[in-house]
Amino acid sequence: MSIQISIQMSIQMSIQMLALAVAATLPLVAAAPPEADREPPLRDYWAYVCAESEDEVALIRFGPQGAEVAKTIEVGTFPAEIEGPHGIGVSPSGRYWYVSVSHGMPFGTIHKFATGTDEWEGDTTVGMFPATLDVAGTTGLLYVVNSDFFGDHSPSTISVVETSTMTEVRQIPTGTMPHGARLSRDGKRLYSVNMMDDELVEVDALRFEISRRLALSTPAAAGHGGHAEHAGAPRVEPAWVSAPTAAGKLYVAALSGNQILEVDLAAFEVTRRFDTVAGPYNLAVTPDDAMLVATYKKSDAVGFWDLATGVEIARVATTRRIPHGVAITSDGRYSFVTVEGVGGEPGVVEVFDNRIQERVGTVEVGKQAGGVAVWERGG
Amino acid sequence: MRSSIHAAVITPLLLALLGAPPAHAQDEQDEQDDEETIEAAEAASAELPPLPSTATLEVNPSELRLEVGETAQLEAVLQDREQPLDGYTVVYFSRSRRNVGVDATGKVEAYGPGEFTIVALVPRDPEDRPRSAEAMLRVEIPVTIPNPPVETVELVRLPGSFYAGTQLLLHSRVIDRSGVERSDVEVEYESSNESVAEADAFGHLLLKAPGSTTITARAEAATSTRRIDVVENPVASFELVSDFEEGELAEVRTGDVVRLSAIGRDRRGLAVEDLPVHYSVAGRPAVSIIAPGSTAMVTEDGRFVAERSGIYTVVATAGGFVAEKRIRVEPRRVRKEAQYVGQGKVRDRHTSDLWIWEGQDGRDYAITGTWGAEGHAYVWDVTNPESITLIDTVRVDARTVNDVKISEDGKLAVISREGASNRRNGIVIVDVSDPSVGVRIVGRYDDQLRGGVHNVFVHDQHVYAVNNGRRFDIINIEDPAQPYRVGRFELDTPGHAIHDVWVADGVAFTSNWGDGVWAIDVGGGGKGGAPNNPVPLGHYAYPSGWNHAAFPYRSKSTGKFYVFAGDEAFPYGLTGREANEAPPRAAGWIHVIEWEDWANPREVARYQVPEAGTHNLWIEDDVMYVAYYNGGLRVVDVSGELLGDLYAQGREIAMFMPFDGEGFIPNSPFTWGPQPYKDRIFFSDWNSGLWAIELVDPERPDRVIGEPQ
Repeated sequence: MSIQISIQMSIQMSIQMLALAVAATLPLVAAAPPEADREPPLRDYWAYVCAESEDEVALIRFGPQGAEVAKTIEVGTFPAEIEGPHGIGVSPSGRYWYVSVSHGMPFGTIHKFATGTDEWEGDTTVGMFPATLDVAGTTGLLYVVNSDFFGDHSPSTISVVETSTMTEVRQIPTGTMPHGARLSRDGKRLYSVNMMDDELVEVDALRFEISRRLALSTPAAAGHGGHAEHAGAPRVEPAWVSAPTAAGKLYVAALSGNQILEVDLAAFEVTRRFDTVAGPYNLAVTPDDAMLVATYKKSDAVGFWDLATGVEIARVATTRRIPHGVAITSDGRYSFVTVEGVGGEPGVVEVFDNRIQERVGTVEVGKQAGGVAVWERGG
Repeated sequence: MRSSIHAAVITPLLLALLGAPPAHAQDEQDEQDDEETIEAAEAASAELPPLPSTATLEVNPSELRLEVGETAQLEAVLQDREQPLDGYTVVYFSRSRRNVGVDATGKVEAYGPGEFTIVALVPRDPEDRPRSAEAMLRVEIPVTIPNPPVETVELVRLPGSFYAGTQLLLHSRVIDRSGVERSDVEVEYESSNESVAEADAFGHLLLKAPGSTTITARAEAATSTRRIDVVENPVASFELVSDFEEGELAEVRTGDVVRLSAIGRDRRGLAVEDLPVHYSVAGRPAVSIIAPGSTAMVTEDGRFVAERSGIYTVVATAGGFVAEKRIRVEPRRVRKEAQYVGQGKVRDRHTSDLWIWEGQDGRDYAITGTWGAEGHAYVWDVTNPESITLIDTVRVDARTVNDVKISEDGKLAVISREGASNRRNGIVIVDVSDPSVGVRIVGRYDDQLRGGVHNVFVHDQHVYAVNNGRRFDIINIEDPAQPYRVGRFELDTPGHAIHDVWVADGVAFTSNWGDGVWAIDVGGGGKGGAPNNPVPLGHYAYPSGWNHAAFPYRSKSTGKFYVFAGDEAFPYGLTGREANEAPPRAAGWIHVIEWEDWANPREVARYQVPEAGTHNLWIEDDVMYVAYYNGGLRVVDVSGELLGDLYAQGREIAMFMPFDGEGFIPNSPFTWGPQPYKDRIFFSDWNSGLWAIELVDPERPDRVIGEPQ
């Protein structure tokens, strides 16, 4: 894995992206960012990154010297089978990280590792193709969506895992192809989307049941979708949901609808729709709720949105194809973005400075980089 | 670069100011009373102050003992200095939800027996950021659910006649109140008249003298009785015969099965039915074998097989009658030397499966896949195995081409895809009708095969493709450019999975981990099956759940039909993916299943190399070729009837360890798949590519590297 740092970005934006940018009528540059904003980080930042076709997790360090792979950790149980680590999360205590391993016999598993030592602590079997996960610091319970990406498009579940014993204690019926899972800060509500049902679900995380469902597909949204002509096909195909903001908003990526939807949790309705380039996939919101960072899986780019104005203030092409995950540091300054790559290409982790919306570091990891979680070392 | 630049000034980023949770849901559904109570409590809890650090949680009762089907209600008491704390949510869950359930109100229901734990906890204040997730209020409630009492016990498998002076083993069927047949309950037996018959502590019934007695079987409080009449033993003569003529007994080798049969005859010379016979064996191994351990076995039905050479005595007893048969067992002497012929080196990535075939032009070709790489399949000219030559490469959008198969006519290759960057995997069909001028992709099929195709088989213009580890799909490739699905087969067992499929004579044999091997009629099973109508014929599973591959084979020497089922297991953990790691270690063995009757498969033998593990296998001309991962390639004599431990019987003909100092992981044999072909043995190795070896007579046949070789 090479170490690269890139302050001056020189990647040429594709014609397609340029056209899309123009179409989106993005504002032009008003002023160059102040030089102070371009200073490299004064401390190290850490993130765990899944390489789905390598069966390994990379620990990334980004600091004054740039980005590098500090360590790789093999995951799974079969050396001769690709088991597919997909989703990853660090416990709120910072003591453990958890990874969903997609393929099993047939069910996937959740593995627990200690941060720092990266020693394996335990595992448990969950449902078909577990993907996104989140851990509640208030209860120690982990929630993982059993996405069952390649099943017969029948309703699936959300598994609840007691992390102290790594025991699956419940499966909550949800919908078809659940993906994305983010808890409210108090651990009482979990939000997820069902990709094939075009819906957002709110889970009562303490009673283990769905409390509300919100249909995301509207006639207007249908106009943006690529599947509207197919009966029963999802029109917006929601792929991700952000954690709720302090103001009670969350954001949904509509992979086929080519939109980001803002949902007001009090009213439980869509309040704004932001048109995007093709394929918004994963989202993260800065801790001050001011900025949303989105990966565009079908457009090979990362978008930065001002949530107050609903304007995409910058869009940056990724260095390789198929951007996937995004996680933001606790101080809100940096975004770690994973890029899958194609075929035998290594995956890439790209680090963006959110203040200037520029890539400030890249590092190669194993094939098909996907899930990413920031670890606040010592925090 | 940036595609557009900010016009708006980004506000300074602040640390998190995450506050109150969103308002609670308005649930439009009817709620139970208790649920409403909880909703109200939760609503109230949103306004509650943080839980005091001195708060305590108590749950009553503190432990439970429930019968299956019973329910109980838990009551949580949350206090601070003996003052109740109301409105806080208590979360309940079970660590064994399939055996004991608990709902959000604390109502517990017992489903199955055992010792379990229910947890009650009160969520921590979200602003509290201790370093331990275990600091919240938490109570564990032990739950004991005893086995249901035994409902019935029944004596079974009793013979029709009981002869004085003989003994037999008693058997019972125990059913508990829930209807489950139990094997963990001790059954005691007694006889009402011990001068006629006496039951010992091990379940044997000793028939002492003519007369009547009642046998009682007791399991817990359940009993059943059976009156038996013991008669004089009519046996006048007793002999032990075998299926080997005396003159041939000297020809018995280790691993050969000798069938013995003890016959008691009455004074008229008629065979006595239901005569219980016990077989045992004792022997003297060859004097050169020191401290040999157990050297031979005889089954309850009189089949004898030896693992070591020597002279053995099989003893049959029935009442006071004893008959013996002595058998001289010679070393099997099948040893050959495995000699290197050639290697098609693949050292920059892992190699997966292989297939060797004769091309339309009469030359010999091989195709190999790659694993965890860039989606390559390699085509080799192996006409001269001393000089294996790479002649073409197919590359598809995949990280792993796990399996490669060639159609019976040698014109088409089918390769599997996993890890496609667009997550549309499926199969790719390649025209290999003239590899000397190149191969080309002529068809793709991924409809409903997106989840990854791990293994394929080509049979009669159909591809059997293992999809997403859940089922196999059957795809017609008569026109390889226009493949289409005609059928599929998926088990309906809970948590079912499939790993491999192999088709022979119109029967598909699938390997399904814990569900074992399934035989499915797809046109040759005589049950109306067809590619568009797969019909299950039978199945066999074994306890480990490691079933990974299966090879059907009818023995040339005996005509018996066997399925050789291979394991895949890595109980020693993850190692060996990188050059600086210890080589990977696998486990598992070949299970030999005698399967003459689809409804009655029987596992009769094993081939197990200690400290290594099986992968793929092939059988031809009564010789089995096993890719034994870290144990290299193994060649095994499977002629004759198969019984017991084939490895210990000296049936191993040869082994070859493919060491390659420049391999992907140097000097780390990890043998993937074998195929015998035109007097050579080809095999693929994960770390070093395609190999060809041949078997030759040993230069020093008298040289023995440990018994029983």
